Amino acid sequence: MTAMTAAGGGPIARFRGTLADRNGQFRIVLVLIFVTILYGATYNDLRQGALRGLFEALPLPSVNVLIVMFYYAILALGLNIVVGFAGLLDLGYVAFYVFGAYTTAFLASPLHDIHIPWWFVVIAAVGVAALAGVLLGAPTLRLRGDYLAIVTLGFGEIMPVLARNLDDLDLSFIGGPEHFNLTGGNIGVNPIDPPILPIPGPWGDSLVFSNGNPVASLYLILGILLLVFVVCVRLRDSRLGRAWMAIREDETAAASMGIDTVSTKLLAFGLGASFSGFTGAFFGAYSTAIFPESFNFAVSISILIMIILGGMGSLRGVVLGAFMIRYVNDSLLPYLGRFVDDPIQSFGAVMPEIPILKERVEAFTLTSYNYLLYGLILVVMMIKRPEGLLPVAARKAELHGEGVAAEATFGTSVEVAEAATEFEAKAGHLKIHETSADDAPGTDDAPGTGGRA
Amino acid sequence: MNIAAWFAKNTRAVIALVVVVAVLAVFGKSIPIWSGCTAALDRCADIVAIGVFQGMIVALVALGYTLVYGILQLINFANGSVFMLGSVGALFGVEIFGLTKDTPATTVILAFAVILPVTMLLTAGLNAGIERVAYRPLRRAPTLATLISAIGMDFILQNVGQVLIGPSPVSLPSLLPTTNIITEPFVIKVSHVFVTAITVPLLIGLMWFVQATRQGKAMRATAQDREAAGLMGIDVNRTISLTFLLAGALAGGAGVIVALYNGSAWWQYGFSYGLLAFTAAVFGGIGNLLGAAVGGIFLGVLISLNAFYVDPRWQDVVVFGILVVVLVFRPTGLFAAKQSERA
Amino acid sequence: MKLTKVGALAAVAVLAFSACGTSGGGGGDKGTVQIWSELPRQGSSKGQTDTIVNAIKYALDARGGKVDGWTIKYTDQDDSTAEAGKWTQERATALATEAASTTDLVAYIGTFNSGAAKIVIPVLCGAGIAMVSPANTYPGLTKPGKGTADEPGIYYPGGCAHNYFRVVPADDLQGDVGALWAKDLGATTVYVLDDTEIYGKGVADVFDASATAAGLTVLGHDQAPGKSTDFKALAAKIADAGPDLVYYGGITQNNAGQLWKDLREAMPDIMLMGPDGIYEDAFIEAAGDAAEGTYLTFGGQTADQYTGDAAKWRDEFRTKYGPDSIEVYTIYGYEAANVVLAAIETASKAGAKDAAALRAGTLAALTATKDFKGVLGTWSFDANGDTSNKVFSGSVIKSGKFEFDTVLGQ
Repeated sequence: MTAMTAAGGGPIARFRGTLADRNGQFRIVLVLIFVTILYGATYNDLRQGALRGLFEALPLPSVNVLIVMFYYAILALGLNIVVGFAGLLDLGYVAFYVFGAYTTAFLASPLHDIHIPWWFVVIAAVGVAALAGVLLGAPTLRLRGDYLAIVTLGFGEIMPVLARNLDDLDLSFIGGPEHFNLTGGNIGVNPIDPPILPIPGPWGDSLVFSNGNPVASLYLILGILLLVFVVCVRLRDSRLGRAWMAIREDETAAASMGIDTVSTKLLAFGLGASFSGFTGAFFGAYSTAIFPESFNFAVSISILIMIILGGMGSLRGVVLGAFMIRYVNDSLLPYLGRFVDDPIQSFGAVMPEIPILKERVEAFTLTSYNYLLYGLILVVMMIKRPEGLLPVAARKAELHGEGVAAEATFGTSVEVAEAATEFEAKAGHLKIHETSADDAPGTDDAPGTGGRA
Repeated sequence: MNIAAWFAKNTRAVIALVVVVAVLAVFGKSIPIWSGCTAALDRCADIVAIGVFQGMIVALVALGYTLVYGILQLINFANGSVFMLGSVGALFGVEIFGLTKDTPATTVILAFAVILPVTMLLTAGLNAGIERVAYRPLRRAPTLATLISAIGMDFILQNVGQVLIGPSPVSLPSLLPTTNIITEPFVIKVSHVFVTAITVPLLIGLMWFVQATRQGKAMRATAQDREAAGLMGIDVNRTISLTFLLAGALAGGAGVIVALYNGSAWWQYGFSYGLLAFTAAVFGGIGNLLGAAVGGIFLGVLISLNAFYVDPRWQDVVVFGILVVVLVFRPTGLFAAKQSERA
Repeated sequence: MKLTKVGALAAVAVLAFSACGTSGGGGGDKGTVQIWSELPRQGSSKGQTDTIVNAIKYALDARGGKVDGWTIKYTDQDDSTAEAGKWTQERATALATEAASTTDLVAYIGTFNSGAAKIVIPVLCGAGIAMVSPANTYPGLTKPGKGTADEPGIYYPGGCAHNYFRVVPADDLQGDVGALWAKDLGATTVYVLDDTEIYGKGVADVFDASATAAGLTVLGHDQAPGKSTDFKALAAKIADAGPDLVYYGGITQNNAGQLWKDLREAMPDIMLMGPDGIYEDAFIEAAGDAAEGTYLTFGGQTADQYTGDAAKWRDEFRTKYGPDSIEVYTIYGYEAANVVLAAIETASKAGAKDAAALRAGTLAALTATKDFKGVLGTWSFDANGDTSNKVFSGSVIKSGKFEFDTVLGQ
């Protein structure tokens, strides 16, 4: 943030103007990319050198947290295709993440003693995950809304269990071994081969993108995130993207306009899954290991939170949502504890004798309340900005009563979405109108690249 | 009804049935549940009974999901945690009354005559409060925004449970005698009678309330068309609050029952029971009360059979595998409610 | 306006803190070095990791926060996140990388989960940082032939020096000791359960194999995941099999209390045995009366066997943190902290002048640890980094308390 101020230099109003302007947005993105590159390169020296105090005083994200933020942004962009564009609620996105990760484990680890270079593995992982998306999607696409949600949730629960349990298969009936370890079981698979580029340089004979070299990994994932973002923009503005949104708004109407709803929805599932297939491959290679326990319901929910918090369907918003959730979880909450624990504990020591409460305050550690804090952040964010941080224009208009309710939200029945029922409005429960009146009035949510088709 | 017409209407179901029968006929011997239940019928009955009683508790929680879903089309993620806080309430009640395993039965019954309603009142109020604070401001927002708000509330309540009783499960004294009342055709214990004696009246009472009372009618009307219900003079906000009160009371009651029946309270029970209950509600056709109850019991039996004849580690695969198959053939659950079919 | 204010604040903070940073090194001291611990500080494991952190702090405070003139700055790092409620691969990776690039870090206490160790060991190995775990029990981390084919070599890529140690005995010993004890107790048939996780399944698998080898009949081995709501049907299945003893590999936080209750209800007189994962007061609290008579194995001496300095520590620690504060992980955590601090002292006395030398010296001193007199007994690190301690305590729960029963594994 501070660097950005330095670059902008001007007053807030001018900054707002830059934000509203598409070229301005593009410039800001460029500046942010530049800052990220610079930050990554200098992080370690600054942290322990000149800016040691600053790094100890402020919750600045480490290079690793940036990497995690970036690859979760890719996951969120993938889920956004399914949920945000096509309007299919998927509560088990982690299932496809499992496919990507375990494809990598099969093809680039000592598990089956296959060591294919990561660059080929990632293609296989993307392909397998996309295929899984289509295969799992095919029988379930007749389901609507929350029924689809629970089926996908089911797949999300089943896949890690399979990964955990398929470590002792009896393949004797097809002439295979009696104890075949397919997935590595609960002890996981490690080490996964990292991506390697045979370029000699100051880093040695070849460039290795693993956790031993986080800065290189950061640049790799940043590059891929940008690529994925551009792909998403192109998808959104393509014929396919418009077909998705048509299905999201009204499936029956879309079908009668000649859209093949089945294959369009399957494409959404397949493409969305392919993103998580990629991320699974990167995740395994970067952290050098894969464990079944890393893939659980919490991951699916976390990604869903990212896209809704950011603004469903809005690409900028989704990326911002992913950054925020990862940053809060991996950087901010651990940091806060270091600063508030001691003062609160010493307050507990001097506070008046109130039974139960006093001992709780004396033994206060923020980590005991992190979950609560996180939940509170979610609830407050949703109440203050139900449309998300950076919503698409149509949804914002709908929620703020600026236009006709042209857009029915899926999951809500049309009647309900349209019903700004009079008695509710009279009762004055809806105070969301003024929350973001000063926001950028842009109609396009993509910074720069890819004009409207 | 004309049989030919019925077949024409249910071709898919008939084909599914034929496939299932064929699979069982061919692979029957190697499917452990199948062969177990044909070989030793009385043992199988015991296991089914264990599942039924466990399923009753799941059913109570499932009703909470289905009630709220019916009226708001919202998966109320916080419901599982309200249930968990119910069991924490039972734990505190037992501590306040100082009950131990040696306390005479009459005292235990008297104490629970107080603990159960008080806990149900508290959780009902809590649930309605959650609606007021976290969902009502989002009435016009996309359902998914409300869903995230519900998940947030769930996190908050789980943390509250963890702070109240600590990160590990906590045991309650065994207050229910474990003696068998009958052993044929299957084992029934005092604890089973206790579960049934609370669950069944609650279920019947709820059905009666929704079907026969004026408030129940208002609930059904609001579920069907909120706007029209408002125009007809129904106080929609009050009706929704009432629904949350009911759901909360059921969840709290289930919490007290599970605390006594299983003898422990744990902050993670909210998630494990909640997921099962939500699945049960979908099984039965979400929005359908009877469906949720049957779905809960069905899941309980399924889990119990799986644990006995297969291995508990396959529970998720079995439960969700069957769920997927059921939904593929009946996309709106086993007992599709009319109101949930609207798109 | 807001942004410029933040900038100004940040600048002030930089000045203030960099001033602190430079002044800390003065006063005739040798300087400040860091120790980190990596433990899941949120969710279910919080109870155990709280006691480990308390034990580490206690060990450090006992030396006045200094070792041979070096000021030790201890940071309690968390490898869990709020949303996951347990350790995550992301956090473990981030902490390991962060540690590897922190120049004044001399030793690393952790991890709690064996899975996290798999990620962390190779990274720290590359940086030459010694790592002592108070809780990892997966055998493959140290022992050739006990894990997958190429373990533990894969943890030391590029031939970096062995940097991983643990004060807690691995599953292969504990499962084995349990099986032999079961035989001594008169069991002829056993049933094995585990909680599907690395620790629980590992120790249960070893028990399974050792029991068969010792001539016991294993009637079955089922896996009971921690998120199961109850185990009544499973208990009925085991009751039908009719074993003399049920062994459970797992931890309290995977619902062991409920398992015990359901097993006891189905089989009131069955013998129940478990490893150190349930050797904690939380287990007695979770299982209630059902815990009575449970047999537990624990690697090393239990607190009630202490004599001399260890007894003194026990009494003082209990005065400070409460009568029930010494649990298995307190002991392991205290032992890990002490062996690390002792190694730093050795390194410093051997002439380490800066943080880098101290780091290398600490690693060398840990590798050479011999006949360390700790609270677990007198033990050494063997060539694999394992404790040489093969003595186990067998305890029984009587009237809601752990009571030392017998010495095992000799």
